[in-house]
Parts: sequence; C-alpha cells; structure tokens
Amino acid sequence: MVGLSAGEKQFMHGGIAQDLRSDGRQRLQFRPISIQTGVIPQANGSARVTLGATVVIASIKAELGKPAPLRPDKGKVVIFIDCSPTAGTMFEGRGGEELSSELSVGLQRCLLGGKSGAEAGAGIDLSSLVLAEGKICWDLYIDGLVISSDGNLLDALAAAIKVCRFIFLVRFEISSPWQVALSNTGIPKVSVIVEASAEDQLEVNVSDEEFLQFDTSGVPVIVTLTKVGRHYIADATSEEESQMSSAVSVSVNRHGRVCGLTKRGGAGLDPSVMLDMISVAKHASENLIAVLDSEIAAAEAAEDDGS
Amino acid sequence: MKEILISLNQTQKVRLQAALQHLDELASQVSSANLAVTVADTIPVNNEDGILKGHGTTEFDGQVVATLCGIVERVNKLVYVRTLRARYKPEVGDIIVGRVIEIAPKRWRLEINFSQDAVLMLQSMNLPDGIQRRRTAVDELNMRSIFEENDVVCAEVRGFQHDGSLHLQARSQKYGKLERGQLLIIPAYLVKRRKQHFHHLEQYGVDLILGCNGFVWIGEHAEPIDSEVLEDRDKIPKDKHRDTPLEVRRNICRISNSVRLLSALGFALSVEAIVDTAEASKSSNVDIKDMLGAEFYVQTAEREVQRRASLLKKKRFV
Repeated sequence: MVGLSAGEKQFMHGGIAQDLRSDGRQRLQFRPISIQTGVIPQANGSARVTLGATVVIASIKAELGKPAPLRPDKGKVVIFIDCSPTAGTMFEGRGGEELSSELSVGLQRCLLGGKSGAEAGAGIDLSSLVLAEGKICWDLYIDGLVISSDGNLLDALAAAIKVCRFIFLVRFEISSPWQVALSNTGIPKVSVIVEASAEDQLEVNVSDEEFLQFDTSGVPVIVTLTKVGRHYIADATSEEESQMSSAVSVSVNRHGRVCGLTKRGGAGLDPSVMLDMISVAKHASENLIAVLDSEIAAAEAAEDDGS
Repeated sequence: MKEILISLNQTQKVRLQAALQHLDELASQVSSANLAVTVADTIPVNNEDGILKGHGTTEFDGQVVATLCGIVERVNKLVYVRTLRARYKPEVGDIIVGRVIEIAPKRWRLEINFSQDAVLMLQSMNLPDGIQRRRTAVDELNMRSIFEENDVVCAEVRGFQHDGSLHLQARSQKYGKLERGQLLIIPAYLVKRRKQHFHHLEQYGVDLILGCNGFVWIGEHAEPIDSEVLEDRDKIPKDKHRDTPLEVRRNICRISNSVRLLSALGFALSVEAIVDTAEASKSSNVDIKDMLGAEFYVQTAEREVQRRASLLKKKRFV
C-alpha cells in the first residue's frame, strides 16, 4: 500500500467534501458490481463478486455434523477468509493474516451475531440448520478468498456469501427429489453429503422437507461506510481507505432490519453520527440488494445458457 | 492502481468482439512487420544466415522460438522480443513521474516502476530560490522542505551511472512536485515517447502529464513559478488550502476516467485520444462515473475502430 502525498490527500478530502470522488462517484454511490455463480464445482455454492477492481470468491460447503453438546438446537457455521498473495505484495507470507482474521471476525459479527447471541435477528438462522436436535445438523463452511484488493472487501465478501447461499439453497430445493431417487440413479450432485453419514440417510430425507422453508430473504448484505475527514462514503477504494478515520459496517437484511454491526479504525464516533450512518446504510442496502438480485438473475441466465 | 474489470452482457460482448476483430484486421493492413508472439511460438526468420538471437528468444530444433510474450522486433540481423506487460525500461531524456519513497544523504529515491529505484540527486535539481550555487550542508538538512516521502514528483531521466543505478534530473520550472490532482498507474507500454509529455488542456483547466513510465498525473492547472515571482513567496502559502473548484474537479475526474478506460481497453494513450474520449462522453451525456460502465466501454472500442479506419483511408488517398 503506497502512501499518498499531502497534495493528493488534500485533493481527495476536497473531492469528498464537494461530493465528487476521484472516479466521479458521489459519496454514497457504489462501483459497478458483477457476479458470477457456480465458479467452484466442488462446493455447494460459490460465487465470484467483482466490485470495481476488487475481486473476491466465496464458497459454501455443507457437511453433516453433530451439534455442540451445549447447543443441541443449533447448527454450526465456520467462516474463514484468506487473502491471496496475488492481490498484493503485502499479503505474501504471513502478511495477510491480520487482515484475514479481521475480515473473518467482521463477517462473523455481521452475519452470525455475537458468540453468545445468534438468536433472532442474526443473519443466518442457526436453528434452521438442525436436522434432528442433538443428533445431526448441517455444518456450513464458508470460505472467502480475496483475489484482488481495491478496498471495501467486507461488502464484496458479504455480497459473495449472500449470492452463494442463494444458489446453495436453490440446489437444495432441487435436491430433495434427487435424494428420494437415490437408490436407482447414479451419483447425484449432492450425494457427497449423504454418503458422509450413510446410517443417517433416513433422517436426512425426512428433514429435507423442512429445509425447503428456509427463509432466504433473511441473509443480509453489508454496507460499509468509511469516514474520511468530516464525511462518510460508501464503497471506498483502497486509496480512500488509507485515509479513513473509522469505518462502520452495517449488515442489513431484505426487510431493512440491522442484523449486525462492526466498527473498525481507531477514531471514535459521535453516537448521533453513528445513528445517521446506520439509517444511511439501511437506505443504501436497498439499492445494493436490488442490484444483487438483478445480477443474480443475470448470472443464472448466463449459467443456463452455458450448460 | 488495479485494473478495472468490466462485466458485459451478451450483446455488448458480441459488439466488443466484433470491434476488436476489426481492430486486428486494421492492424494487419497497416504493417505485417510487427508480429505478436507468445511463449513457444516460432519466430519466422526465413532461413537467413547469421541471425542474432536477442532477448526473449532461443533456438529449438533449428528454429527460433520465443520465450516471452510480446512483439518481435528486428534491428538488422538482431531478432528480439519486446515484452508488453513488463516493467518500464528508461531511456535518457524520458519524462517520468515518480513517487518519493526515501530521503537519503544528498538524494531522493523515487519509485518509477523500473526494476530498481531511481535516484534524484540534490545537485541535479533547481533550488526553490532559483539561485545557481553550490549545495551546502544546510540545503541537505532542508531537503524535506522540497520533497517529502510519498510526494509525487515529475523529472527527466538523466542517465545511468557506472554501477547501473538510474539518475534523474529536475533542472527546470516545469519539473518538480505535483499537487492538487491524482496519480494513475497504467502499463508503461501504453505511453508512447513523444515530443510533448506535459499537456495543459486549456478548455478544461487541467494539467495532464503522461510519464513514460506509465504514471499519469491529472491535476488542476498550475502556472510554473518563475524565480522572479518568487520574491513575494508569502503569497503562495495563503492559497495552499484552497480547494479545487468543482468545475475543474469534474474535468479532472472525466479525464482520469478516460485514461482508466483507455488503459483497460489496452489502447495507446495520446492526449488526442484522451480528450476525444472525454468529449465523446460529454456530448453523449454520459455521467462521469458511468464512463467506467460496460456500455461506454464498448462504445469507446467501436469509436476507436472508426478512427483507425478513417486514418487508413486518408493514408490511402495520400
């Protein structure tokens, strides 16, 4: 990450104050976003999200597991983010670890809620992952990879995960007739999951019916507002991020409910500014969700053409 | 700077492919000499005797084979491959833009996308008071008041020292620190060596510096400060914190998005092409931020086809 000279910093601050950033965007505008789904065939759901020059891939793999003894009514979700050294020389060796863990924690907070909470309001409803209480549940492994980094990684990763989940759930809807027909066909797409625990096959078939009712609209998007100088901006580039004083990431679902909140950066924020940022993020998320929905539709259409 | 990635829909893809194919055909009409090769491509040498194999070539089964991706160049008997996406190779007299990364005794070190850092000596630089004199120890202590770390500086390539290090010079008012604007970094091969690299776009009030090393500066126009005017220097700090006017800033953003767009398309950057793109976006009422969108991307490619086709026609008439 190169630093900026005093002249460039002043130019950037002035631009943000005048509501015209260096690439012509206004303060709360996003860069063009594009989505490709099904990029990793081995995963249950995967997506590549491009946001300007930021490129991330997310994949979700589901496995059958046992719920933790302390929480027999909840499934497990593990989020792991990796920063590829191809994204920048600063990620070589162990250089990306700090950012990776920061992003993982941020996503965990925004999508899953806190360690103790994770009840209503959290982005991913963990109780819906349970198939038989105390016995068997879905373990979701969410992996993210940063391929090219030009700021606003958290929003891009959350968008990728949202898209993944969407595809993943659609596949499951398709998968129930597959599994019924398991005995007389070859190996269906999702057979790996079933084979992993052959003795529980009956349970899986039964509880699949419940899985159809999973509420996809609950999965939130994250909108990060970065405070640079006296104003805050959405979808900051890495140059703008280098000048930030603090950043607030708000995860908002389709109903406009806030599911999680994280703040990065050292500087403090006035509570009234914080409330303002949350309502702005809520407003911005409506646009983002609309864009994502249309992109998902386009990506699915493209996939259908391809196959 | 990272390259922008643009996603196109089906019709846009078809249009872009058609435009690029057109460009290919036009390029092959102009000259068949420049041959693009990738690794392991055979370079036809027509069994000439005494061919000298240069950089990026090797002999394999009696044929000359490329070991790099790039364009085949021939100088008399020498055949070599000029790579495109490589680091910048400086030549004496090039005008470059760089970023100061270190202040060392009597010199600044600049990052210029060369395989090593360039050196700008204190003695090869005009002092702000404009007086020609020996540089003293006091000057050396005050170096940070001229350029600090991270400052963007424009200079000229002076030459290579015996140890292979690259030296720069900034002995004119037009060189020096660049302020109030933005720096874009694009592949160096897109900037061709020209007579003029400093451009004052008067209709926009914008300065454009196309550094040969692929660093492009786009900023508010600043009059070169004459040494005589410097007498009343207290005037300068006053307007230091003045913000760029909105109209000029719009123009800066428009020009920089033209540069981003052209470099994403891989078209050579000339001041004409940049201004042309900016004007086209203005006349077709494209928003500044939409200049990086898919539709204008394809339109720019198509306009380039028309431009080159009309150039070719003109040449034929002459």
